[in-house]
Amino acid sequence: MKLKKYLTFTRAGIIEALQFRLSTVVMVIGNLLYLIVTYFLWKAIFASVNNEPIGGMTFYDTLIYLVLATALNGFMEMYTVWEMGRSIQSGKIVLDLLRPMEYRKYLFWSYSGGFVVQFLTTFLPTFIVVTAVTQGAVPLGLNLVWFMISVVMAVSINYSIDFLVGTVCLYTESIWGINIMKQVVILLLSGATVPLAFFPEPLKTVVQYLPFQSIYNAPLTLLLNKNPEPLAILTTLGTQLLWVIVMLLLGKLFWRVSLRQITVNGG
Amino acid sequence: MKRGLGFYLRIYARILVQDIKSKMSYRADFIISTLGMICTNIAGFVSFWIVFQNFPSVDGWSYYEMLFLYGFSLVSLTPVQCLFDNNWSLRMYVYSGDFIKYCFRPINLFFYYQSEVFDIKGLGQLAFGIGTLVYAWAKLGLPVTALMIVKMIVFLITASLIMIALQNAAAATCFWIQNSFYVLDFVFRFKDYAKYPITIFSPVFRFIFTFLMPIAFIAYYPSLVILHPDEVPLLSWLSPVVGLVFFFLSYKIWMYGAMKYSGTGS
Repeated sequence: MKLKKYLTFTRAGIIEALQFRLSTVVMVIGNLLYLIVTYFLWKAIFASVNNEPIGGMTFYDTLIYLVLATALNGFMEMYTVWEMGRSIQSGKIVLDLLRPMEYRKYLFWSYSGGFVVQFLTTFLPTFIVVTAVTQGAVPLGLNLVWFMISVVMAVSINYSIDFLVGTVCLYTESIWGINIMKQVVILLLSGATVPLAFFPEPLKTVVQYLPFQSIYNAPLTLLLNKNPEPLAILTTLGTQLLWVIVMLLLGKLFWRVSLRQITVNGG
Repeated sequence: MKRGLGFYLRIYARILVQDIKSKMSYRADFIISTLGMICTNIAGFVSFWIVFQNFPSVDGWSYYEMLFLYGFSLVSLTPVQCLFDNNWSLRMYVYSGDFIKYCFRPINLFFYYQSEVFDIKGLGQLAFGIGTLVYAWAKLGLPVTALMIVKMIVFLITASLIMIALQNAAAATCFWIQNSFYVLDFVFRFKDYAKYPITIFSPVFRFIFTFLMPIAFIAYYPSLVILHPDEVPLLSWLSPVVGLVFFFLSYKIWMYGAMKYSGTGS
């Protein structure tokens, strides 16, 4: 079975992630603090409009959206750019390239264990707490299925962008700068910092045509929509699928072209 | 042996020049990092702007008042970025044993360690922060007097000590625990919360953010001195003292950890 060799990496990743328990505690406290700040901030913001919904979003909708966006971000952040950048600078990448596995796949699957752990320890608890606390603001029905499908595609798009940006490290010595730019652009244009519903025109329309909104806005909109039209679901998922394919091909192509350029320090 | 401030300033200038020379040999990295820093600031500004397109105010704070606070936090967070960036590498030095090299110099250990790295890209943030402050200052119609400017500078400098202190203490945890990156990262995220007025929080968290994690002293309390000169709370006047005290404490913690350091034996 072909999948088995990939799942070995997943298993190793899970074991590795479970090693660092203190870090998990610190991270949970950090996230709690973030949630508290977000809660009070948006409460104050919505108080200025007497808690009227804005752009179709109520205070609770916004809160759930942002909290889950953060939780999603927590488990989608793979530090791919750092990993690639460091391997390129140290020369380790040569060894990785010699592996009987495509580098792109190797990197993804060796991180996948972290996904599983992060999903179970960060996203799932956050989701359950949010659902319980807001009582009924998160509809529980078929939308969960669409959400899951959407998240899988979001992970793929996010990874493709990471890989694409990581490839740039073959040309530059900068990792920090490249990575921070990527992070900032994705978080802003995907609606993870401010929901896309609040974006003024024409910015909103422009952002809809970019791949970033497929990472956070698409799954979260599918999750929070109480009575979705089938067409809307189809469009959202279809757009995502399109971006999955486009970004995958772009990433592969850029990697193949760049690999010819590679110069690695001897040693 | 006691040495004066002049001695340390001269050494700092020497090390600074060397550091910048070595950074300049990676010109692309320097340019990209600076661009990255500017992108971060622009994105922060854009999210602010988007929120205020939909909402008139936050807890009674207008757009320009919030901008002032934001600018204040950017400027007061610059020194920690520029001057104390080596804290991020501390755990690596301690872990690998290379930290021992700092212990053998006949100058202050803390000073020598922190002086080794100057993060130029922080200057982009400084420029952006000052720009935001000036813009908000003008739009709010605040008076421009010599006294105001002196106050502003004094409060900015002392406010910057808070984040430096928090980061020093967080970095110093690596002398005791293994995986201290998470502690540092945890504390580093505080800076993002500095740009909000503390009054949005419930009393419990107001207390926590004032006395336990003194985030409110990074921008909120000190900026009130300029923003609302008629009704300055006592805590605002105290903020320079708080900054100095926290900085001193963090220095002591850092040095205590460093003195305890026994190397890796290699």
